[in-house]
Amino acid sequence: MQPLLRSNQSATTDRVLENPVSNAFEAVGLKKDFDDGAVQALRSLDLQIPEGEFIAITGPSGCGKTTLLQLLGALDRPTAGTLAFRGVSIPDLPDPSAYRSQEIGFVFQSFHLLPTFTALENVQIPMLETRMPSAKRRDRARELLKSVGLERRLNHFPSKLSGGERQRVAIARSLANNPSVLLADEPTGNLDSDNAVMILDLLTKIQQEKRMTLVLVTHDDRVAHRAARIIHMIDGHAVSDRQTGNGVCQ
Amino acid sequence: MSFVTVVFRGLIRRRTRTTLTLLGISIGIAAVVALVGLSRGLNKSWAAGMRARGTDVVVSNMTSSLVPKPFNATVRDRIAHLPHIAATCSLLVDLMSVENTEMIMVSGREWGGFTWANLKLISGRMPNDAQEKAVVLGRTAADVLKKKVGDPIQIETAELKVVGIVDGNAWVENGSVILSLPLLQEITDDQDRINVIDVRLTPGTSRADVQSLCEQINQLVPEARAIVASENLNQSEISRIVGAMSWSTSLLAVLVGVLGVMNTMLMNVFERTPEICVLLALGWKRRRIVELVLWESAILGLLGGIIGVFIGVAGVRLLGATPSIRGLLEPDIGIRLLAVSVAIAILVGVVSGLYPAWRSSRVTPSQALHG
Ligand SMILES: Nc1ncnc2c1ncn2[C@@H]1O[C@H](COP(=O)(O)OP(=O)(O)OP(=O)(O)O)[C@@H](O)[C@H]1O
Ligand SMILES: [Mg+2]
Repeated sequence: MQPLLRSNQSATTDRVLENPVSNAFEAVGLKKDFDDGAVQALRSLDLQIPEGEFIAITGPSGCGKTTLLQLLGALDRPTAGTLAFRGVSIPDLPDPSAYRSQEIGFVFQSFHLLPTFTALENVQIPMLETRMPSAKRRDRARELLKSVGLERRLNHFPSKLSGGERQRVAIARSLANNPSVLLADEPTGNLDSDNAVMILDLLTKIQQEKRMTLVLVTHDDRVAHRAARIIHMIDGHAVSDRQTGNGVCQ
Repeated sequence: MSFVTVVFRGLIRRRTRTTLTLLGISIGIAAVVALVGLSRGLNKSWAAGMRARGTDVVVSNMTSSLVPKPFNATVRDRIAHLPHIAATCSLLVDLMSVENTEMIMVSGREWGGFTWANLKLISGRMPNDAQEKAVVLGRTAADVLKKKVGDPIQIETAELKVVGIVDGNAWVENGSVILSLPLLQEITDDQDRINVIDVRLTPGTSRADVQSLCEQINQLVPEARAIVASENLNQSEISRIVGAMSWSTSLLAVLVGVLGVMNTMLMNVFERTPEICVLLALGWKRRRIVELVLWESAILGLLGGIIGVFIGVAGVRLLGATPSIRGLLEPDIGIRLLAVSVAIAILVGVVSGLYPAWRSSRVTPSQALHG
């Protein structure tokens, strides 16, 4: 358990009100090299992401978007620079898995559902790391799937679901432990436009209802314009950072 | 759903692979059960046979083969005078092919010797004298040979008659064809040969006296060794060889099982690296992943062990029912041997899972999730 990070979970909605200017993430001079510096995926990135903001990250292939998400999610360590979540250094977290389990929900382009588990079971997987009793886990998973419109697909295996349905299961799964942050890497990249719109509507709705911090990586400008803010990256740098006018009135 | 569900889902994912792995371990464990059970049975039946014959000390040479090595009948006269010896009885014991049965214990006993005394007639009678061309059959031997009282029986070239069926109160005794020593010597054309001297001690002989008697016998008769019947055959060469063989063969079988499970679990870990990355991204601890791999391989071991124990017991039963084994030795498969075998299998599972589990803990979560 990470008491440092677990600020009064039931009051997620109050968080922004308590301290309206607080940042979820803050990066200064963030660098990430691969292969002993042969590849520089991130070169001195500065970034601030306030709590509860919907932010899109765009940029050409290979510019470092996925790398950035992985650093935010503590799946990898930066080569240099500082990166903090609510003021706590992410690379120095004593238990990154607890941080991921409690604060972070991941949504991937290719869904990454576990093929041998039903929709209902996939959603419960993250809850196995918590002390929740199994009946409660199942109830919660059922409710989450209901909230993404899949109450009639509970016992389907991923192979029997459409792409849009799979991504909705994945979104339900990312919400399993009621995280404060969603990190979505091209969540609509493998979907047709109708399904893409549906998934975006869903993510937007969840973000607004729960006042979650949503960091969404995309190639697609139309997708990016759903966000309140768009950061454009090229070659490991953030080259532009603009408000879209979304979300500010809400 | 719980953690256990995740463990079992991992196992049924590759059914064929899991089945083949289980088969591998279970054959190894079956070998342990069968070989150890048979070798322990051998020891136990010999010891029980000695006790049933009323023997306290056995003088024989078991170094070379399954039956004791023959020596001259005069050996008996060299030891009979030793202190504490109440009676002796010379025997010639051999595994022979009798009629359609490939191997059966044939036991020629000194006429009038004490080893005849414990045979209880079930039907018929004992031979009238040492020269009568007659045998008695242990009850199992009668069964195996399909003989009843009055039937003729051919041993080597001699035509004999079954005059009685006896209960000898021990597996080896019941599995034997029993006849007088001179008759068997005549049949085998070995007038002066015996290979076992059963010794009965005077009542109340102390352990120390028994020990020193054995030492004296061993000095007087270098061609044979004295073994105290109450200590089972553990010290004898033959039982040591059989024991070592059965354990080393078992060990080999178990080693094959370890390699099989390790291979399977390594393949599972490599194949599921992307899934492991997903689990880590979803907040699973590395320790959990390690536990998952170890539990999977432990369950493989457990299931393989249970199946193996069944195969082993069935195999030994089947073997014990074949005419060539039946009556020779009684497999000794106790619940403890079965429990130990299953425990070995679980250990095999856990040990084989260690390296794959370590590999699983080295997975870098970011790698599989790029793109
Ligand atoms: N594990 C790795 N080892 C070596 N190089 C890597 C590794 N991961 C990423 N890279 C390199 O780092 C750079 C940034 O990769 P990243 O996956 O972050 O790009 P991206 O912006 O997400 O691209 P895309 O839009 O195609 O997903 C690329 O040049 C990539 O080849
Ligand atoms: Mg990417």
